[in-house]
Amino acid sequence: MSEEKRDHSQARTILATDCGSTTTKAILIQLIDGEYRQTHRGEAPTTVEAPFEDVTRGVLNAVREVEELADRQILDEDQIIRPAAGDKGVDIYISTSSAGGGLQMMVAGVVKSMTGESAERAALGAGAIVMDVLASNDGRLPHEKISRIRQLRPDMILLSGGIDGGTISHVVELAEILHAANPRPRLGLGYQLPVIYAGNRDARQTIWETLSNTTDLTVVDNIRPVLERENLTPSRDKIHDLFMEHVMAQAPGYKKLMSWTDAPIMPTPGAVGAIIQTVASHYGITVVGVDIGGATTDIFSVFEDTFNRTVSANLGMSYSVCNVLAEATLPNVLRWVPLAMDEAELMNRIGNKMIRPTTIPQALEELQIEQAIAREALRLSFIQHKQFAVGLKGVQKERTISDAFDQSASGATLVDMMALDLLVGSGGVLSHAPRRHQAARMLIDAFLPEGITRLAVDSIFMMPQLGVLSMVNEKAATEVFEKDCLIHLGTCIAPVGPAKKGRKVLDAKLILPDGTVVERELTQGEMFLVPATYEQPVKAVLKPAKGLDLGGGKGHEIETELYGGVVGLIFDGRGRQPFVLPEEPAERVAKLRAWSEATEEYVASPQPAAS
Amino acid sequence: MKPGNARRAALAVLFCLSLASVIPAAAQDLPAAPPAPPLDLTAEDTPNDRGHAIALSWVLSPDDDGSGRVTGYSVWRAVYRPGVAPADLDWTRVGSHSAGYLGDERLTHSDVSDDIVNNLPYLYRVEADGPGGASAVLLPASIMARAQWFNRARWNMLLAVLVLSAGIMYWIQKAQTSDIYLRPVAGLKAFDEAIGRATEMGNPVLFVPGIMDMDQIETLAGVSILGYVGKMTARYETPLEVPVSRSLVMAHAREVVKESYLQAGRPDLYNDDMIHYLTDDQFGYAAAVDGIMLRQKPAACFYQGKFYAESLILAETGNSIGAIQIAGTASPAQLPFFITACDYTLIGEEFFAASAYLSQEKRAIGSIRGQDVGKLIFMVALILGVFLVSLEAVGVRLPGWLDITALFDVSSGG
Repeated sequence: MSEEKRDHSQARTILATDCGSTTTKAILIQLIDGEYRQTHRGEAPTTVEAPFEDVTRGVLNAVREVEELADRQILDEDQIIRPAAGDKGVDIYISTSSAGGGLQMMVAGVVKSMTGESAERAALGAGAIVMDVLASNDGRLPHEKISRIRQLRPDMILLSGGIDGGTISHVVELAEILHAANPRPRLGLGYQLPVIYAGNRDARQTIWETLSNTTDLTVVDNIRPVLERENLTPSRDKIHDLFMEHVMAQAPGYKKLMSWTDAPIMPTPGAVGAIIQTVASHYGITVVGVDIGGATTDIFSVFEDTFNRTVSANLGMSYSVCNVLAEATLPNVLRWVPLAMDEAELMNRIGNKMIRPTTIPQALEELQIEQAIAREALRLSFIQHKQFAVGLKGVQKERTISDAFDQSASGATLVDMMALDLLVGSGGVLSHAPRRHQAARMLIDAFLPEGITRLAVDSIFMMPQLGVLSMVNEKAATEVFEKDCLIHLGTCIAPVGPAKKGRKVLDAKLILPDGTVVERELTQGEMFLVPATYEQPVKAVLKPAKGLDLGGGKGHEIETELYGGVVGLIFDGRGRQPFVLPEEPAERVAKLRAWSEATEEYVASPQPAAS
Repeated sequence: MKPGNARRAALAVLFCLSLASVIPAAAQDLPAAPPAPPLDLTAEDTPNDRGHAIALSWVLSPDDDGSGRVTGYSVWRAVYRPGVAPADLDWTRVGSHSAGYLGDERLTHSDVSDDIVNNLPYLYRVEADGPGGASAVLLPASIMARAQWFNRARWNMLLAVLVLSAGIMYWIQKAQTSDIYLRPVAGLKAFDEAIGRATEMGNPVLFVPGIMDMDQIETLAGVSILGYVGKMTARYETPLEVPVSRSLVMAHAREVVKESYLQAGRPDLYNDDMIHYLTDDQFGYAAAVDGIMLRQKPAACFYQGKFYAESLILAETGNSIGAIQIAGTASPAQLPFFITACDYTLIGEEFFAASAYLSQEKRAIGSIRGQDVGKLIFMVALILGVFLVSLEAVGVRLPGWLDITALFDVSSGG
């Protein structure tokens, strides 16, 4: 990291890179007419592996492409020119990295659903992949835990357990298991494994005596000082620091890269989480973000000011495609395919994808199957996310006599689809869908947003760079996120509640920007599209039918502004709670085709393909 | 009239009056004839019983007309012996009735006694007693008391029991092969959480199995839940504290908890002192448990059993020390206190279903489902019955097959 401290809030030119496992992407952000815009981007193969074994080579190649496109000198031989002087150099250089498999961690806590879960949340929020959660009550015997630690060889271990003043014996027992396992780090064999202790402060001395000789032990504040409150920040910050010091420092070329950057290099998912949190707090909205990749799917959410991230390690579109099929089951994938196709044929096609994971669909049929799988991968990942993004467990409740027959349990999911304001998708299958309408439909079908929800996709997956940028210049990060990162698809309007087939579920009165008044009626099982742009929102009066809810209460009218986008306003009358697809194949296919047509999902269009 | 004359006249009147009252009394002292005997004495074995009972009925004596010639009736019983004259039998007076004054109405009498031997013939004699003596009527034929296998007045109950049993059997079978949905009960799901909290806080778990003895079904249910809690505390390696107020409960609870620790693979963590006796006295017990709470600060308190006035004292103390509290009782009077002072409360049926719910044992779950279905059928029948009876009450004529009174033989208590 650069030692020279400068005021980053005044920066005019920012260079950001993301070193992925295969590609290094660079973007250039410039202050134009008082606002920050992403102006140019370039990419080059990542050079962590042999023959280069120096990540900075790929970074320089990507930056060189940006340099050429922007017609601006950024590099002076193999050095980034900083600060900018005239039309040379940049004011800020930042980077993220997921090369080498990212940050792989194990976490440990006394009770799996309490301190274990808090530790997992801290690690996931910092951008790590959590390989396993050890807990006193996980049902495994000590030798099984020891063997598991040795087998997984994590980059780092986060040990927590006990509130301050709470149990000592349990957390010390976990430390003794770690000591007995004597784990070796995955990278850098000569180094001791970084272990962060974030548990009961009364146990620190004993933990120190147990672990300081065999591991590189760091002690931070308790992750759960009392059961009623989580304190994740010290652990997350320490994970970032240790990621830099230990994991990155062992990877080829990273020491040099770290010396270039103006902010610590963040793990890519951690940076995505950072921008999601920044946007949620900046605009005061609830956000769900999803990044669907080839092997994994990450979901980020901010509800009730609480950030959560989950990694569904075996749900992805290429290497994990067969696992999606196994978990979702064939009928669930088939229900999204708008073709008369039997299960055997579908299985063969998905099997082909498994054999050649990096192929992309060449025909419409293949595309439709791929997008059907994507819907299920997203749906399953979101189910996992909802199960993880929950309130704290083990918290005392206050009751009144009115709770006699409605005693809510703690640990309820924080994810409230009715309260969701913005749903952001990224990853190849969403960002690179031939038509944005398809991305919108995939998001709607998989997440089933309720009420009124804005939809967007990340245009070129620049969220990681913006995440790390938000650490040094929040204004720049949020402006670029809003204007260049996001491609606003539109808004989904979906009434919630049971309704009979063909019955009216919504009366919509739309006042378009040109003053035209459009009155439409939405019936159960129907979808329709109203073109609208993001820049000129549509005034709307929406009255759900009796017993249905659009966010204002059952049957209550809502007056609001609806933001369109490249797709527009999508009225979805297919039902929420319950959402049911026809069972009978012919009827199902007919319905899917009707909805595709209504939302212009697969029709030929002059709209250019996504970049 | 002179005062002396007036006194004489009054004395004369009094003499006449006293003479008038003496003359009929003198007439009653004459020997009177016994009243006419009762008529038409019949007897039958009391139906739908276990025997040992004979139902008698007779027509009142014609002299039982309020004139005082019949003062009451005596019922006599003798074991019938063929060839022996009734007068020679060994008669026992087994009942009496006051006079009837009812003209030709019949009187009935149930002779119920374990002295009556089933399937042994008896003769009965009923005497009309009066000032003039007694006159009897003899049962024309002997009668035997018999036990019946079925109470036919209660066939509906038999049907209900069969249906319920069949339902429970069906669901038990079904539970073996398929998953049965049980409504999530927050209080039951919170058991693990409460014990987890105690583990993280390094404080013990307190379990109070009520203040009553093992003869109470709620205490049994509470101790059954203690088994599950014991298993969890063994697994979490968290201290368990069970103060009891009855010696039998202590002995039983010790066995249950010991077994739980054994099942959890941690018999080393068990010791008898976990379950200890305090006192039988209600408020002495409450005070002692409060003391334990304030000294040991348990992080999770379970109140599962039969409670009375001590419920609020315990729950409020538990609340004040910041423990997660889960109560369970079927005592309606204590529920409001538990609901307001505890984190979760198992109400009535939930409490009894807890052990099946917590163990997730398939047979127990099937049994719960069967019972629930039975209850549903009874609820529907009850509502339907009330509706039909109401219709009848307002004068709606129902077809014969819908005559609810006859159908369920309401008059006979069926």
